[in-house]
Amino acid sequence: MDTALQSLIYAADDHYLSDADLDRFGKDVQALGDRIEAYEYIRERELSILQPAVDYLTEEFLGSDPKLLERAVMHWLSILRYAAMAMLLNNSEYLSRRILEWLPDLVEVYQLRDIELALYRLILVQAKSSLSPEQLALIKPYLEEAYAVLLNAKPALQKAA
Amino acid sequence: MISVKELVRESHLPSNYFAPDVYIQGDLEAGLIENRKGARLLALPEPFLEAIYEGLAEEVGAASESVLYKCGAWWGKTFYRRFAEEVSQHYKQPLAEVEMIEFLQCFKQSWKTHGWGKVDLDFNFYQQGFIVVAVRNSAFATSGSALGKPKCFVEAGLLSSFFSGLTGQKLHCIQTTCESLGAECNYFVLGLPERVKRAEAWLQENHDHATIMDRLCQGQANR
Repeated sequence: MDTALQSLIYAADDHYLSDADLDRFGKDVQALGDRIEAYEYIRERELSILQPAVDYLTEEFLGSDPKLLERAVMHWLSILRYAAMAMLLNNSEYLSRRILEWLPDLVEVYQLRDIELALYRLILVQAKSSLSPEQLALIKPYLEEAYAVLLNAKPALQKAA
Repeated sequence: MISVKELVRESHLPSNYFAPDVYIQGDLEAGLIENRKGARLLALPEPFLEAIYEGLAEEVGAASESVLYKCGAWWGKTFYRRFAEEVSQHYKQPLAEVEMIEFLQCFKQSWKTHGWGKVDLDFNFYQQGFIVVAVRNSAFATSGSALGKPKCFVEAGLLSSFFSGLTGQKLHCIQTTCESLGAECNYFVLGLPERVKRAEAWLQENHDHATIMDRLCQGQANR
């Protein structure tokens, strides 16, 4: 659930919401409308955002193993979907829990860091041309969060035999 | 040329199956906590665990260590079965065919989500026949009275059965350090019983984890 709305619901546990809270509630509901619209837009344009980014990626990493490139693409497909949902819920913890806490070890083991970071950059370029500035502003913090996590990916696992 | 459309259609999108907000669910109407497959989960209060430890110690004395290990081993057997089933279903392939790193991620996350602490596996001794497991914030180290030696017998039993199920070989597990004794984590060593049990004497002589690992590996090299 939307974290801002949820905190207001908790606040109303045993008393009426104040005028200021009700005003905030109205604004949060309105913001939720904008996020639903952005979510639908991203959902409908997933392919048109990702495919050109992936095409540029394959050119940029011409000699790389296609399986590795595919794996990185799958990661960003997931990131984009979870980021869109986190945006809808206004909840960055959702993105962290569902994918970002889990991904760095995989990126490290398959040595995908450079590919993943390049793909982030290419996806952002496509998102800029596909989404309105307002929609981009809604989704961008979540994509940036994913970028930051992958940028700092550390070798977390011991060497598997 | 990579087709995103084809990838979406044919591949399994990666995700954290054991993410706590999706894995642990509740049926509040029925008063149940369940996992995402509908299996019932119980949240045990710490005093209850303590009561089990104390009660057993009072009734059976030193044998309680072996009872707790066996309880853990029994539990680990069913936990492994459930884990294997769920992970296989999630990845749509047998556990043995799931990529090693993905298996490890699932294992570590499942441990965390169940509230048993943070687990890491060290395969550096694999060639010598040992796997080392490190658990931080263990759920089992704080309960029960101090024994002056590692005391997470349930956890050791749980790990022994889990990895026996995974490797298809009967493995034993020895705990070499314990958070209850001020160590930074619980270290467990898994291996074939005849190899690992030699460490019990070194533990009684208060040797540290590194020394025990050296001796275990040395023992293997001399064979």
